[in-house]
Amino acid sequence: MTKILIVEDNEMNRDMLSRRLARQGFEIAIALDGRHGVEMAISEKPDLILMDMSLPVINGWEATEQVKANPETKTIPVIALTAHAMAEDREKCIAAGCDDFDTKPVDLPRLVEKIRTLLAQRQTEGL
Amino acid sequence: MIFPKRSVIGNENKLLRATLENMSQGVAMYDAEHRLVTWNERFVEYLEMPDAFLGTDKTFSDYIRYIGKRGEFGADADIEAELKKRIALLDRSHMFERLRPDGTVLEVRRDPVPGGGFIAIYTNITARKEAERQIREDQERFHATDAASPVGLIIVSRENNIIQHFNRSFSEIVGREQNEISGKPIGSLFSDPKQGAELTEIFDSPPGHPSEFRFDRFGRECWVMVSFAELDYRNSKAVVASFVDITDRVQAEDELKKAKEAAESANRVKSAFLANMSHELRTPLNAIIGYSEILVEDASDRGDETSIADLKKIQSAGKHLLGLINDILDLSKIEAGRMDIYLEQVFLSKLVTDVKTIVDPMMNKNDNKLVIECPEHVGSLRTDLTKLKQNLINLLSNAAKFTKDGEVKLTLSRIDGEDGIKHIRFDVSDTGIGMNEEQIAKLFQSFSQADSSTTRNFGGTGLGLTITRHFCTMLGGSVEAKSSPGKGSTFTMILPDRIAKPVVLAPAEPRVSQRTNDKGAIRVLVIDDDPVVHEVLSATLSREGYEIIHAYDGGEALQIMRTSQPDIVTLDVMMPKIDGWSLLGIMKSESTLQNIPVIMLTIVDDRNLGFSLGASEFMTKPIDRTRLVELIRQFSHTKNAVVLAVDDDPDVRGIIRQAIEGVGLVAAEAENGRKALEWLDKNNAPSLILLDLIMPEMDGFEFLDEIRKRKDASSLPVVVLTAKELDDHDRVFLAERTILVLSKSAQPIGSIGHAIAAIAERGAATAHRNKM
Repeated sequence: MTKILIVEDNEMNRDMLSRRLARQGFEIAIALDGRHGVEMAISEKPDLILMDMSLPVINGWEATEQVKANPETKTIPVIALTAHAMAEDREKCIAAGCDDFDTKPVDLPRLVEKIRTLLAQRQTEGL
Repeated sequence: MIFPKRSVIGNENKLLRATLENMSQGVAMYDAEHRLVTWNERFVEYLEMPDAFLGTDKTFSDYIRYIGKRGEFGADADIEAELKKRIALLDRSHMFERLRPDGTVLEVRRDPVPGGGFIAIYTNITARKEAERQIREDQERFHATDAASPVGLIIVSRENNIIQHFNRSFSEIVGREQNEISGKPIGSLFSDPKQGAELTEIFDSPPGHPSEFRFDRFGRECWVMVSFAELDYRNSKAVVASFVDITDRVQAEDELKKAKEAAESANRVKSAFLANMSHELRTPLNAIIGYSEILVEDASDRGDETSIADLKKIQSAGKHLLGLINDILDLSKIEAGRMDIYLEQVFLSKLVTDVKTIVDPMMNKNDNKLVIECPEHVGSLRTDLTKLKQNLINLLSNAAKFTKDGEVKLTLSRIDGEDGIKHIRFDVSDTGIGMNEEQIAKLFQSFSQADSSTTRNFGGTGLGLTITRHFCTMLGGSVEAKSSPGKGSTFTMILPDRIAKPVVLAPAEPRVSQRTNDKGAIRVLVIDDDPVVHEVLSATLSREGYEIIHAYDGGEALQIMRTSQPDIVTLDVMMPKIDGWSLLGIMKSESTLQNIPVIMLTIVDDRNLGFSLGASEFMTKPIDRTRLVELIRQFSHTKNAVVLAVDDDPDVRGIIRQAIEGVGLVAAEAENGRKALEWLDKNNAPSLILLDLIMPEMDGFEFLDEIRKRKDASSLPVVVLTAKELDDHDRVFLAERTILVLSKSAQPIGSIGHAIAAIAERGAATAHRNKM
């Protein structure tokens, strides 16, 4: 089963995302802040990470950088979730090493599409 | 001086006469009986006395009466009274001035002489009087201006800074009484000695430019504009300075500045507030939209249609509210000048397709038909994609909103601007309710829909068109509306095909976001600095179902390739920064990039260099689009290509095999031409034959003749790999029959793997079109 790590501090967002993605057949792991997210990326070995950007302890950009800097976790695709569709946020996400990004509120079909695309890519690359 | 009587004759008399006539004054002498005894010519001239009158028989009284009658004392004068007054004065010296009727002024002096009689002396003082009058008038004028001038004026001695002169305005400006200024050093006027020093410093600076000078007048801050000039005053150096009170102006400026700062700060606060608030509003909305979606999913699992309908209402209301918040945020960013522009090449046919997908549901809602008129080769423009898209969606959704059961039409066309810049024109017309002129006038203003009932009936913030107009302006274009009630509306947006001065350059961000979600599509990365090439390739290849990624220089291309590998690359040779050859070199040196097929697009036909560097194919510009599509089709499904190496040297064959297998191809071997022909009889046609020329049994030349005779093998691509020195005859022969000649001596065989792979991958179909 494909495991997705959701790093999100907002309880409702977390709840909605995890329930809806679980309904889509994904296994869900949850981290509440940036540092927790980096740790769980190592311990849980998820197939993909959904990373909120404004997180406590360490923010999403920093957390992504750490995930991408670690050889153990660097191949895990990261989708950034930002509150604003601002171009500068987008740039920062890419600069931090995110593989894709989406804006909140989440448009689920679009997000699932992105998740599946990245997972498929990773699979091809892994061959 | 004693004048002898006229009767005295002799030398003395002559001398006296000469003296009298040489005097600049008029002289007349009277004896004790007041008889006129002698006179000179000046007397006759000054008083215009006729010869007939002059004579010793005439007395002083006769003279006064005579000139009196002539009007010398004024027309109405009492001559006898005048005479009496004069006679009374004769016993003593006296002097007076007489203004004559002709305007001349005579000073008259009469002195008694010893032994009786008197002498009258007349001096013409007209000129002196005139000069005095002028001086007096000058002075009066000066005093008048000095006193009335609103400008403070002072004269200050250079030597000791003592005030020599000042006017009323100066004393008012400095707020001092006359006695506090007059004769005082200039520094004493200011309570703060620093201010006095500052003023003398101004006087010591080079003159010519007015200086602003600030001082305290009994606790009140005052500002003056000081100008000065050097002056010689009473034989010593001095400064004449003027003081203009600019306190009011400075204060007004100050207040203006404060007001401006306050307004700016208020605006910043407002923007921050709006940005914050919209974030705060989004968070609960997130939950509303998200949970209603979850509930819709649950309800549809249960088949609970009633709930689904209601939940969808909550969901759509939430989405609508979200739209409003986004609009408000956009507008506040525009107004705060914080809306940035990101320029990129926008391909219009793709844009139109995207926009259509988004607005189709809105069209269906009111049973409208969307018609798109877009010329086939409308091309692209360099602009901000997001803003242009938002504008189009906005105009189209407006049209859909105000039209029922009608038609909404989007028309694109290219037009020439006045300044030689090409423009793209977008017309969005509908057959809806239309507007009157008053409504059109209010159209682009914030929060102003055609009328307030519009909001109730049609929804919306009334901000959409304001944002559209702002975006158009930012993109160097314009938007206008034409309409009449009941006859529909047409909105025309005109944008330049490139913005002369971009506000912010587009980041060299990988354009992964443009990727379509068509997972099956072959992704072609177009690397070219020329937007026209992108446009052409994009138009051609997207029609064929390929997904196009754009890179405008080598750096951007590498970034894209490293993050998301394209299936095929088209590469321009002539590019700034990193040229095509260098980029090709870099690609072939990176393990993840080296197997991506590269099609070089070039003006210069330099195949050998390209192939040896590992290019898969060449096309010269202008691009033959049909051929390009075929090439790309080739590359998109040929893997496992077989390369037949024909060489008598087993070591060479070994090296070639390694090279071929190293790039993921299948190698086959034959030790001479005859063996190669036998191999061809038994196997399917290989993708490429690598041919040595000098071999036993059947050499390369013979082999080439043989296979060209065979129908099935005549189009096989052959690359000659030889150590032989070729003569002209050889070259012509090989050029007709092979696609490339590589020299073994010039190139270690092992290094040609990529070149071989590249050529092999092109497959037989391409090869026969590509005979050199």
